[in-house]
Amino acid sequence: MTNGHPIRAEEFEIFALGAFPSEEQAPIQAHIDSCPECARKLAEARGRIALLALAAPPQNPPTVVKQRLLEKVRAEKSSTITPVRAGETRPATPWWNTIWAPAAVALAIATIFLWISDRHLDEQLQQIQQVTRTYQAQTQHAQALVNVLAAQDTVTVKLDATPAMPKARGSVKYNPRMGMMCYTADLPEPPPNKVYQMWAVPMTGNPVSAGVFMPAAAHNGEMLAKVPTGMDCKWFCVTVEPKGGKSTPTGPKVLVGTL
Amino acid sequence: MSRAQRAEQQNDSDWSLLERVVQKDESALAALYDRYSGLVFAEASRILRDSGAAEEVLQDLFYQVWRTAEKFDPARGSLPGWLLVAARNRSISRLRRRSSRGDEELTENSVVLPCSLETTAAQNQLLGRVKTILSGMPDGQREAIELAYFEGMTHSEIAEHLATPLGTVKTRIRSAVEILKQALA
Repeated sequence: MTNGHPIRAEEFEIFALGAFPSEEQAPIQAHIDSCPECARKLAEARGRIALLALAAPPQNPPTVVKQRLLEKVRAEKSSTITPVRAGETRPATPWWNTIWAPAAVALAIATIFLWISDRHLDEQLQQIQQVTRTYQAQTQHAQALVNVLAAQDTVTVKLDATPAMPKARGSVKYNPRMGMMCYTADLPEPPPNKVYQMWAVPMTGNPVSAGVFMPAAAHNGEMLAKVPTGMDCKWFCVTVEPKGGKSTPTGPKVLVGTL
Repeated sequence: MSRAQRAEQQNDSDWSLLERVVQKDESALAALYDRYSGLVFAEASRILRDSGAAEEVLQDLFYQVWRTAEKFDPARGSLPGWLLVAARNRSISRLRRRSSRGDEELTENSVVLPCSLETTAAQNQLLGRVKTILSGMPDGQREAIELAYFEGMTHSEIAEHLATPLGTVKTRIRSAVEILKQALA
């Protein structure tokens, strides 16, 4: 013991070796714990003594030890991340996770909106297509009328009333080359479940139907009919027929015109 | 090439590796293991004479480094110094069936090595020096200090073990320590 220290300078290595009697070690350690100078000397002595370990025969550990160590370390890492015990707070949710739910809802709403919008647009498209088809038909109809009316070889036949309907009037424009005819008729409303039917009657053979019509359509002069081309018509007539028309005239003649 | 091998080649300091261990970088732990496991295992095997038990000591020590690296204060000592001292204490405790102080040892890392052991070359060089120092000692001195270090015997136990007077044992150990100090100065 010297200068109040329970251990001499040359004894720190002996103490580090643990060679002191056990009953002396505790009071010396207690002093060292409270004396920075002795603590420093002991630290240096421990370092010199520790180098005696290098006197041991060199020996490398089996590689499995490192594998076990790293497996244990990984297991600890995963176990500290995965479970959330009672009283613990869950690890902070990444910011991008917070937008998934609202993004999914927004996507669903957008999908429904687009689906409804698509249905509406589809209906509009169908309406437009229907209107287009109507316009196309009207255009073709008008064009056909123009073609018939403008053709130099189109002939006009005046239709005269018969005793069955004395006030009836009408006319037919017929083009045998084109096999087309258009006609107008000023007729009263037909009887219930009856329609008017136009006929083209050739020199030989049976009359050919040129369509059924109601007075309003014929009055506007828009009736257009396709008949066999080159047919040698003798005269035209309008009869009253059951709704839907007939393949041959069966009802009374209300208008007649001779070519 | 593994990160541990790169760390060895790049000669990362023990402290920088320990900082990464604190951040739970297992490659840094692997690098420290590669650097010092041979020394620790050789020491534990020499004390325990049981490779299985030495493996357990080795694994437990590095696992303690992993778990409590933040407690290590490099200003108070070196990691390899602590590893060698802790490995010796644990091995002797096992050998003599004494209880180990466990985690407390890492906070008592006041082990200042007189030289660096961070590279394999430095370790080999120092290993040669220590063997030369010990082989230069008289047999009685070398035997006494090796019993104290590797068997954990006190003066009295060595005296009894060698059937030698206690005073003689104390003198031999003191002389051996003095030779060691001078050789490493």
